[in-house]
Order: sequence, then C-alpha cells, then structure tokens
Amino acid sequence: MAAVSDNSQAQHPAFYAVVVMLIIMAVGPIALMFVNSFKLDVDIISGTSGLLFLPTIQNYETALCDVLPYELDHLDFCALKFGGAFINSLIIALVSTFFTLVIGCMAAYALVRFRFMGRDTASGTTLMVRMVPPAVLLVPVFGLWNNEFCISKTSWLGEIIRDNFGGRGDVCLAGTHSGIILIYIAMNLPFVIWILQSFIVQVPRQLEEAARMDGAGPFQVFFKVVLPLIKPGLAAAAIFTFRIAWNEYLLASALSDRDTKTVPILIVNNMSEFNVEWGVIMATGMLLAIPPIIFTLFASRQIITGMTAGAVKG
Amino acid sequence: MPKIKLENLTKRYGNFEVLHGVDLEMEDAEFTVLVGPSGCGKSTTLRMIAGLETVSDGEIFIDGRPVSQLEPKDRDLAMVFQDYALYPHMNVAKNMSFALRLEKRPKAEINKKIKEVAEILGLTDFLHRKPAELSGGQRQRVAMGRALTRDSSTFLFDEPLSNLDAKLRTQMRAELALMRQRVHKNMIYVTHDQIEAMTLADRIVVMHAGRIQQQGTPEELFKKPVNKFVAGFLGSPPMNFLESTVQQEGDDVFLAGQGFRLKIDGELTKRLSPLSGSKVDVGIRPSDLSFDPDASADNAIDINVVISEYVGAQSVLIGDCGGQKVMVELKSDTPIALGEKLRFRVECSDLHLFDTSSELAIG
Repeated sequence: MAAVSDNSQAQHPAFYAVVVMLIIMAVGPIALMFVNSFKLDVDIISGTSGLLFLPTIQNYETALCDVLPYELDHLDFCALKFGGAFINSLIIALVSTFFTLVIGCMAAYALVRFRFMGRDTASGTTLMVRMVPPAVLLVPVFGLWNNEFCISKTSWLGEIIRDNFGGRGDVCLAGTHSGIILIYIAMNLPFVIWILQSFIVQVPRQLEEAARMDGAGPFQVFFKVVLPLIKPGLAAAAIFTFRIAWNEYLLASALSDRDTKTVPILIVNNMSEFNVEWGVIMATGMLLAIPPIIFTLFASRQIITGMTAGAVKG
Repeated sequence: MPKIKLENLTKRYGNFEVLHGVDLEMEDAEFTVLVGPSGCGKSTTLRMIAGLETVSDGEIFIDGRPVSQLEPKDRDLAMVFQDYALYPHMNVAKNMSFALRLEKRPKAEINKKIKEVAEILGLTDFLHRKPAELSGGQRQRVAMGRALTRDSSTFLFDEPLSNLDAKLRTQMRAELALMRQRVHKNMIYVTHDQIEAMTLADRIVVMHAGRIQQQGTPEELFKKPVNKFVAGFLGSPPMNFLESTVQQEGDDVFLAGQGFRLKIDGELTKRLSPLSGSKVDVGIRPSDLSFDPDASADNAIDINVVISEYVGAQSVLIGDCGGQKVMVELKSDTPIALGEKLRFRVECSDLHLFDTSSELAIG
C-alpha cells in the first residue's frame, strides 16, 4: 500500500506553517472575542497589560440583565434588553426558515416535475431576484410596510389586534415580526428553490411512478417519497436560511421597532459616540453565536450522502 | 379476473407517432408477454395501461370499463419496474406494505400479508434491511413482493429481469414461472429478451416500430411466423435468411440462390409455381440444418464454415453460403473441419418462405 505510507510520511514544514496560519485566521477572532468577553473594558483597551486579567462574568450579567433573576450591583438601570432581542431573533429566524423551506420545497418540486406555461421563465427569474442587493429593496419595502397593506385601527380586526397586542395607529407590517419574517422569506426563497431543485432532479422518476402505482396521490408522492429523499437538501437549505435570517442587519434595522429588534441591531445600538462597551459587545457576540452553532450541528446531521442508494439500478 | 382490452391505442409525442393504433385483447388470467426490440413501443404500451403515460388516441378497457382518463391508483393494477424503484428510505417490510399503509388497512392484516409474501419470495430474513443493503436479485424480489402484497387483479412487469446478470436472470425466470403457477392473475410482461418471452408466456405479442406484428402462443409464433421480422426475432441463434428465385422446370419447382438450389416437394409446389421467377427469401432455423456430406444437392446447402462457437453440448457454426452469412447449430461432437465447404441437409418442411418485397410469409 504505497499510498498509505506516503500519507504517513512527514510533510514539508511549510505545509504546517500554512495550516497553523489558517487555523489562527479562523479561530483567532473567535478566541479573542471569547477572552475579551471575560475582561473589563479597562483590561481590553489597555494593550499588553490586559494579557493578565481577572476573569469576570460582569459583561454577561450586563448583557442578560433583563432576564437575570437577581439585581446587579454594577448596574443602576438595565438598558440592554438582550433577552427580548434574543427571543425576537429566534422567532424571526426559526419561523422564516420554516416557511422558506415549506414553500421552497413545493415550488422547487413543481418547477422540476410539472410542465406548465412559463416554467422556464419562472425558474430563471427566481434566481434573478437573488441578484438584487437587499439595500435596493430596503426603501420600497420600508415604504410598503409602513403605508400599504395596513388594517385600519377602526376596523374590527384592527381593533382586536390593538386591544390584544397594544400599540398605536393603523396595524401595518412595519415593526412587526411578520413584517421582517415576510421579507426574509422573500429574500431567501429564490436560493432555497434553486438548491432544492438540484436535489429533486436526483430523485429517480420511477420512484414517483412506483408510488403512484401503489395508490399515492400527488401530495402523498411528495410528502412520503420525495421529501424524505431530499432531506439533505432541506438541511443544507435550512442552515443557509437560518444563518442569513439570524445575521441579517440592514433590513431588520429599518423594519423593526423597539419591541421587535433582533440581536445584531441590539449590539450595534449598544455603541454610542461617547462610549463603546467592548466587553458587553464581546459577551453578546458570544451569546449570539450559540444558536447558529446548535442549529447547524443539528441540521448537518441530516446531511447524509447517498440517500437514494439502492433505489434504482445505477 | 377482469379482461383487458386495447382498442386502437395510439401514442404521439408532439407530431411524432410512436404507437400506431394497437388492438389487443387479453384473456382471463393470461400471462401475456409484449416483446420486441428497443423502441418498438412495448414499454409505452405497458405504461399507458398502467396510467403513467397519457393516451393520445384510442381506449383501454378493463372489464369493459374505459380507464384511459383514470389515475393509476384507480385502475387496480400493480407494477414491477425495470430499475426496481424501491423506496430507499424504507426497509423491505415498509417497501412492501407501502400501498397497504396508504389504504390504511389494519396493522394485523398488513403484517400477515407481508409475512405471507416474504415467505413466497424467500425474503423473511431481510424484512428489516434497507434496499441499499440488498443484492440485485434480492432487490428484484422486493420489487416483486411489493406488487404481490396488493390484491390487484393485474400485474404489469416492465423488463424486470434486464438488470440482473445472466445466471441470476435464469434463476429469477424460473422463480417467476413458479410464481405464475401459484398466483392466478392477469400478467402483462414486457421484455426485449425473446427467451424470457418464449419460456414465460401463455401468449406472445411481438411488436415492431409501434405496431403489433403477430400474437399467439410461443409455439405458433415459432413455427408459423407471419413475416420476416417475427421469424428473425424469435429463436436463438436467429433464423438464417437466403435470397433466392423461384424456378419452375416441368412439374418441379426449385428455389435457387447463390450456392444452393433446393427442390420443393409436397403441397408447397402448388403454391410456389404461380410465383415462378419472383424473388423469395428462404428462412432456415440454425437447428434445422444437419451435417450430411452424402445429401443430394436438391435438399442441402453448401456452407463454407468460418468460425465454430463452442457453447457446451451444442456448437454454433458461422459460415458463408454464396456470400450470405449462415449459422448452424449442431451437436458439439460432430466432426467439423473449419475452412472447408461442407454440405448441410435441410427438410423442405422446415423451410420458411417470405416474399422479398413485402416480407410476408408465403404458405
């Protein structure tokens, strides 16, 4: 086995140098953020003398001040509503991911399998939507969300909403979770459709025919045969959508209000022109990173290659 | 069992017609084999019966009921696919019970049925395996089991054995024949392999270029092919065709071609004498030629043997007779010297004659 012994031979030192450099570039910023989140601001900005410090969880306490059950000594007033923003982020990311996948897989299936007028055009334009920068969308969406599609506060539905959820003025999309979720779905859908199309194409057509012969209707064919087989695609698309929704700043900053702001907005709001609380920013950054890591680990378990192995003769 | 009847069944893709009005009636609980070369329309016919292809023209009747507008699930059919088409995310038991579970049958009934079918097919030990963990033959059996668990009155097979290796194919063919005896249902079987067709069928339907060429029992088709295509398609090695001209000399009729001159006797003389001077293709099955150096030239052809293919008890000689390729099948122990001109006898009753221009059988 020549190949095996080749692999076990010592590599050139330059190889290790490059590997170490890549690791530092990848892990370095995260390590720095992690270390700094346990320092006081004084230690962070003091340069080399900050290398020796007494770890503190004060930054995390400040970040989580609105959800901690006890009073904090170092804080007079809890200005940072991290807990609320975190929940907003979770709701928006999860709900928008869910709907993007549901709509995306059905749309992709239709585009791949059904023949209808304008199919190719529809398929092409979905991807073209993706090429428009979100900044271009921002202004018209902001206008629409604030002024159009509003339910009058005097109508019965408007009254119910205002009575139950509070707020003033007509009921519009701006400033609501739904408003942000809607635009995230629209933004992510083209790419998800595009990814899933390539997965659906790989599902052998005979499987669908076999299911039809076995007595399955179109929906049963889709949900019982096609969907389980494109699970890896769904997982990949889910990771992608969740991360975008979780990290998105531009649209959320314009479309959210005080009660619906997401974590990225919160972090930036925490910087003022007089004072940048580095420690707190690092701590919120660390907290912000946890959900996508968990989500990605969970979703990537579903990415198994060779899902269709054994279905048909290759 | 319901009777299946095809009436003027036509399939067009755009302006291109692939099936030109097929009429076919299948008897009760009959094993019908549609056979023909690739692209002859046999699979299309089957898929139209199944409901997987739309019908461009004509109608399919199951028990007198037109079904061409019905969904596959409403036609009471079960199908075995060429590529198995097993659901890769389900184990064998789940694969076989998929249809029953869709019908929401009681669990006990489903389990009983799976057990029954698994026993017939020898799959009892594999019920909890996924298709990827099975061999080709086992997958094929699961595909068949999936059809068997259903109480459909009709089974459709779309070249089910064509993906198996030669040995396994022979074995599965025997198993199919055995299953055929136990399961008394309508079966429609598509294949391009004429041996499968001959061994399994109650009735063979030979198709070519979107048309039915001939239908009948295997024996009928083998002994009395209606045209040159059917004659050449059935039988292995295939029938030899030699160009010849009908010649009349007094009361005697001869078929003369390059390197041979066969004397016709019996009833055929009467039918051939009006055709004197016209061109006729003489069909001779390789097994109907026998090595006989002493035969008279009136009922023998001389062949220059070029190659001898040894296949065990039998050998196939490939030779040439007046520039035309001829195959002979005979016992391997026959002393044959390659490269020599040898005389092979053929009985007049074994000749198949076809009109050269229309390719239809004479007599």
